[in-house]
Amino acid sequence: MTPASWYQVGRHALLPEAGHDDVARFDVIAQLNTLLADRLAPAVRATYEQVAAPAWEAKHGRAPANRKEVAEALAHQPAYRAWSLVRRNTMEYRQHTGRALALRQMRKLRDRAREFNDGADTLHLDPQLDIPKYVASVDTHLMPGGYACEVVDGDVCNAASYDSGLFATLGGAGGPWNDAAGRALVAWLARHAPDFSPRTIVDLGCGLGHNTLPLRCAFPSARVVAIDVAAPFLRYGHARARSLGIDDLEFRQEDATHTSLPSGSCDLVFTTMVLHETSHDALRKILSEAKRLLAPGGLTIHLEQPPYRQFDAYEQFMRDWDGRYNNEPFWSALHETDVPSLLRSTGFEAANVFETRCSAPLVRERTQAEGAVVEDFGRAPSWYAIGAWQTAHGNVVKGEYGHGHTPADRS
Amino acid sequence: MDTLLPIEADPTRLASLAARGRRPEFTDDPMLDRLYSVALVLTAELAITRLRLDAVERMLGRGDDVSRATVDEFKPEPHEAAERARLQREYLDRVFRALTAEGQRKAG
Repeated sequence: MTPASWYQVGRHALLPEAGHDDVARFDVIAQLNTLLADRLAPAVRATYEQVAAPAWEAKHGRAPANRKEVAEALAHQPAYRAWSLVRRNTMEYRQHTGRALALRQMRKLRDRAREFNDGADTLHLDPQLDIPKYVASVDTHLMPGGYACEVVDGDVCNAASYDSGLFATLGGAGGPWNDAAGRALVAWLARHAPDFSPRTIVDLGCGLGHNTLPLRCAFPSARVVAIDVAAPFLRYGHARARSLGIDDLEFRQEDATHTSLPSGSCDLVFTTMVLHETSHDALRKILSEAKRLLAPGGLTIHLEQPPYRQFDAYEQFMRDWDGRYNNEPFWSALHETDVPSLLRSTGFEAANVFETRCSAPLVRERTQAEGAVVEDFGRAPSWYAIGAWQTAHGNVVKGEYGHGHTPADRS
Repeated sequence: MDTLLPIEADPTRLASLAARGRRPEFTDDPMLDRLYSVALVLTAELAITRLRLDAVERMLGRGDDVSRATVDEFKPEPHEAAERARLQREYLDRVFRALTAEGQRKAG
């Protein structure tokens, strides 16, 4: 299978200019991620099954039963240490590569963003906004400075780095526009709610909006609002969307726990890979805010990595690596949280809350290859999703609502 | 007027900032962890040099004008991209063989 190359990344006006070595660097990073997934991770499993777990069992009289015990069994195994070293250093190298590329053209990128943003009535920044501590104080996935830091006035550097490097991190699985989660949601809606025609769509924690664009394209007559706290990502995302010819997507710098949008004004409120980057307190508030925003018959849906309860102890341990070593401090807690229960606690009828799976249609131009994508512990174009329908008539429940189905009384 | 961090004048230093938070150590010797970090990046940087050489060779083979600028604009044809990817993959497999052979032996 020919791996994806950065040459396939979708080009837009905000993408940093990259020379041969920049492209090659991203491609080597993608190859290192492939090596991790299909060479080093299997070596960890083989070591666990044939050496580490039997040794732990000999000592304790039973097999490791949870992540902590798997950790004890594997901690000193060379295969696990090697996988971890390559994974951590590849992530650091990816951050350095993207940031070096963006920072050396920081003024050019800033000025290019201004050409699209200045005077636009679709970008609403709020310099007075309090950046939540869980964003301001964490360099999420080892991104120095985090989402909100600004190196120059009007900075877009970390967003440009994020946009440039995501393709390599995902090994191209997000497609040329890194928008697989958005496309997965569109595909899910087409299949499970073909008559659902949202007039107002809100993306909470949109980042640079790469997953908002597919919703905008699928529902061209809808008002689409992308909300985030990080100004650099909003500036970059707004300019990126404009440069791609989309000039009616609204980007607003607001806190997703309490937006300025009126109650009951939205038909679709969604997040993609946001819940695991919020504190537990913010998680509850974001879900409550989504409930507040929904109009009768509206839908809230959140794409995430699956909860740990679906996996055995070994798989949980491997998936928890990001929480331990990739600066994802809320990762472990989120994956142990009963989000459907939280949704019910915000006021959704129990029968309207569901869990489902959203998968992006394969992007053919990604590779010339046939066949399955190797999943690197969560880094594949398919997501677990938790959602809830707002009843069409207040909180009166009619009919049988099931997993992934629309409420019978929604019209 | 821009508001700048003190080291803004040097993007290279800015790019080299470490992420906040404790950096984990995976071996029993902190220097071994650091050596591993250096070795991984060196491995990658050598791969990039090899790819640049490959680009120059292909351009010379086509009779293209070869300069720093034209090499930076090099874009491989699909079959060339596949060959370059295979070259990289074989290279990484050679370098990391000590790490992957263990799993194969145990799995075998």
